[in-house]
Amino acid sequence: MRERIASHFDPFVIPFLIGMAFVLGYCLIAMIRVIAQLPKADRKRFLVSLITPKYIWINIRDIFLNCLIHVKLWKRNRVLGFMHSSIAFGWFMIILLGHLEVMLFVPERIHLFYYPIFFNYFVAETESTIQGSLLMFLMDFFLLMILSGIAIAIIKRFASRIVGMRRTTRLSLLDQVGLYSLWAIFPLRLLAESFTAHISGGSFLTIPTNWVFRQFLGNDLNALPTWWAYSIALCVFMCVLPFTRYMHIPAEMLLIPMRNAGIRIRHPRKGFALLEVYSCPGCGVCIDACPMSVRKANCKDCTVYLNRQLRRGNERRIEEISDKCLLCGKCTAVCQVGAQGPELRVAQRERRKYALSPSFAGINVRPMASAVVNGAGGESGGVLYFAGCMTQLTPSIRRATTSLLDKAGVRWQMMDPDGGLCCGRPLMMAGRSEQARELIAKNLEIIRASGCDTLLLSCPICYRIFKEEYALEGIRVVHHSVFFQELIAAGKLQVQREDGLKLVWHDPCELGRGCGIYDEPRAALAAAGEVIEAGKHHAESICCGGSLGSLTLSFEQRRPMVQNALDNLTVENPSEIVTGCPLCLATFVRAADRPVRDIAEVLDSHS
Amino acid sequence: MVNRTPVIAIIGAGIAGLEAARQLSALGYKPILIEKAPVTGGHVAEWNRLFPDMSPAADLVQSLEAQTAKVRTMTSTEILSINRLKDGYSLVLSDGNILICQAVLFATGFHLFDASKKEEYGYGIYERVITNRDLEQWFNTRHDARIHNPKAMGFVHCVGSRDIKAGNTQCSKVCCITAIKQAIEIKEEFPDAEVYCFYMDLRLFGKKYEDFYIKAQRDHGIHFIRGRVSEVGEAIDGRVVVKAEDTLNGKPVKVTLDLLVLMAGIVCNPDAQHYAREIGVAVDDDGFLKSRDNVASITESSRPGVFFAGACTGAKTVPETLAEARSAALAIHQYLSKRG
Repeated sequence: MRERIASHFDPFVIPFLIGMAFVLGYCLIAMIRVIAQLPKADRKRFLVSLITPKYIWINIRDIFLNCLIHVKLWKRNRVLGFMHSSIAFGWFMIILLGHLEVMLFVPERIHLFYYPIFFNYFVAETESTIQGSLLMFLMDFFLLMILSGIAIAIIKRFASRIVGMRRTTRLSLLDQVGLYSLWAIFPLRLLAESFTAHISGGSFLTIPTNWVFRQFLGNDLNALPTWWAYSIALCVFMCVLPFTRYMHIPAEMLLIPMRNAGIRIRHPRKGFALLEVYSCPGCGVCIDACPMSVRKANCKDCTVYLNRQLRRGNERRIEEISDKCLLCGKCTAVCQVGAQGPELRVAQRERRKYALSPSFAGINVRPMASAVVNGAGGESGGVLYFAGCMTQLTPSIRRATTSLLDKAGVRWQMMDPDGGLCCGRPLMMAGRSEQARELIAKNLEIIRASGCDTLLLSCPICYRIFKEEYALEGIRVVHHSVFFQELIAAGKLQVQREDGLKLVWHDPCELGRGCGIYDEPRAALAAAGEVIEAGKHHAESICCGGSLGSLTLSFEQRRPMVQNALDNLTVENPSEIVTGCPLCLATFVRAADRPVRDIAEVLDSHS
Repeated sequence: MVNRTPVIAIIGAGIAGLEAARQLSALGYKPILIEKAPVTGGHVAEWNRLFPDMSPAADLVQSLEAQTAKVRTMTSTEILSINRLKDGYSLVLSDGNILICQAVLFATGFHLFDASKKEEYGYGIYERVITNRDLEQWFNTRHDARIHNPKAMGFVHCVGSRDIKAGNTQCSKVCCITAIKQAIEIKEEFPDAEVYCFYMDLRLFGKKYEDFYIKAQRDHGIHFIRGRVSEVGEAIDGRVVVKAEDTLNGKPVKVTLDLLVLMAGIVCNPDAQHYAREIGVAVDDDGFLKSRDNVASITESSRPGVFFAGACTGAKTVPETLAEARSAALAIHQYLSKRG
């Protein structure tokens, strides 16, 4: 081992130093800004979590698994998983090994920023020692790993279908600069190291290339220009990084601890939301996932483009995208960084000023409250069934549910026999949370008056808000599919299995992705017939297209989405489509080529 | 006049098919009627009386059948597939025969909208909710357990018509006058009953339709409420509770009725769409078959040798259907004469 350059410096490191200083400075300021924008309570919570041992461990584990290994992406698509983890993990290992080399061979130079990066230029090493050959082998190995990732990236850019993506994002100009400079970095590093390999040593990759080059280039003067080029590529990449999608690399490292601390989006442009927007890698997985993208015109309305417009500050498009979304949550389910598209949009909707804001605080709920008190007949406990407004339009669900409750001998009464108050969820979705809170207070009054111990819902839209936003301690909030599954399992409800009946379960967005209920409805249906799966199911089920979430999609525009969802449900040719949401039911019934029923109707007709 | 007899296949032996067959026979052709159902006469055969003269529907059907008695009529016969030939079409029939013909006339008519798809109106769920077809059958047979001396009853207009949510934006044309006709008939049957009509707007375009409307209000005291029904519920005694908005008063209304009649709209016969696609005949975006020209040549399709008559191109009244059937017969005659 010997140091080749007596001054320990060469002008070619200057571009690298400029880039490094810029990107570190930018990220530091951005980080301080994001933390400062958090509401006070959130900020305190986050900072405390940073020094709590349990969170420290979770944060390190999550950052390692998500940022470097890309575990979520591996589960989804192995080729893309390999591509991303080979670049991220390989690069991380090269930087780590560079530092290791400096610490091992020239520990007195560790304060020089550029030494670990350009180690082979400054220090000539021999591969005859165990340390030397091992480190050089590892360096070449990880470089090869990165190069293989880059090769896949190039193929993906020109033919995304080969790696299993139907659609990918269109890149902005700066994104392209970032992309090409990133592609250039590692081949240039290979060239630079190869040209110096006969002086500074190398391994299985660099020595053969060195030999090849020397056959026709033959002199050492080539080395310096390639080191310059390598340094410049690094500089370009780091200088454009804050303005490109590659900002997700530093942003995600802050996002993960913040999410682990339980911070939520409160403002569409500030704090956590800002961080999420910058964490979006722009991969475009959400484009294929989005139910709206069956219409080509709506491809640019998915979360990746919302994030891009939020960064650009294009107010018109931000409003348009935020209002159009069905809020089905599938983009979050497939997102590698877990960007919460629906929450971001709802936060954006909350900023809107309305000329008219009717108040619900004046509604007199005393008659409804006394009705449920009388209904309970002085006894406490029992089931209070809130059928919800949608079942006014799908009366068969209400009828089947009450019939099943009677068959199982459950003591129940109805909260809204003659129509009730809205649960508040549609207002929440429209971004009018204050008015939703007024309704929540009113409904709470009625529920508390009834003295029930279980609140039964047959609409997942109601179910989600009752579970998330109502203070119902001591009262169990349950969706009818879960409740009936329990009654069947407990033997209180006898369901006859019909041979040859093939049922497919459609996971409603609010019940599945919204509340994580997937297995109970399937278990309940299995008592009535054979349950088969749709093409995409569980967390990846496709929104029916009728969602209340969208404020602007017309029926004409929704029709292809409904058809697409139906096509997905009927791939295994079920004899019946079953769902647990009255809105999905009403949407499907009008377009389906076979019977569509609610789970309560199916169970009722088989018991 | 006709040298060799070309074969003309008429799909559907409703009034359009029968009338066209009658005219074509008079012109010296030998048309063949193909009917899926075991009897001829189509929807009109199920109806009781026809507006505006309140003439019995059976008379019209019988007269048409009598005049086409010599036409070869294949009932209970379905078309399995239909194919294009060089100068004609071949029809594979369910009785195993293959029919080669020079011209095809679509007289496939309409389908009544499935009212149970509008679940909020409760058809198929509540006992006392029926459709216009059910009521017409009751007029014919007087047998329907659901209709028992009603004291209050309602008609809901535009069920599955002009309704983008139901996937049909077109007007079904005949339901306004049918509802008024049926309201008058049932009021004559049960003079003490209160009768309500819930409508969006009334389209009374035809001869004497307006007279019916005035008569219904003036002589029969039928209540017309402008506003769509929002939902229908069931009271504990089995009666139906209808919630609607009276948009003229600007107030919600809620009435409890013994019988609710849904005026199910007209949609295209799905079989017709299927056949049309098989031979490359265009289907319009409203689901009905597409005429070559909606003004000048409504009975002609985009393909030579394929013609339309009646409700397969859109909702039509009985006289309109008959007129179109005659027109289609003439168009076929001209087409075949030109070919020589």
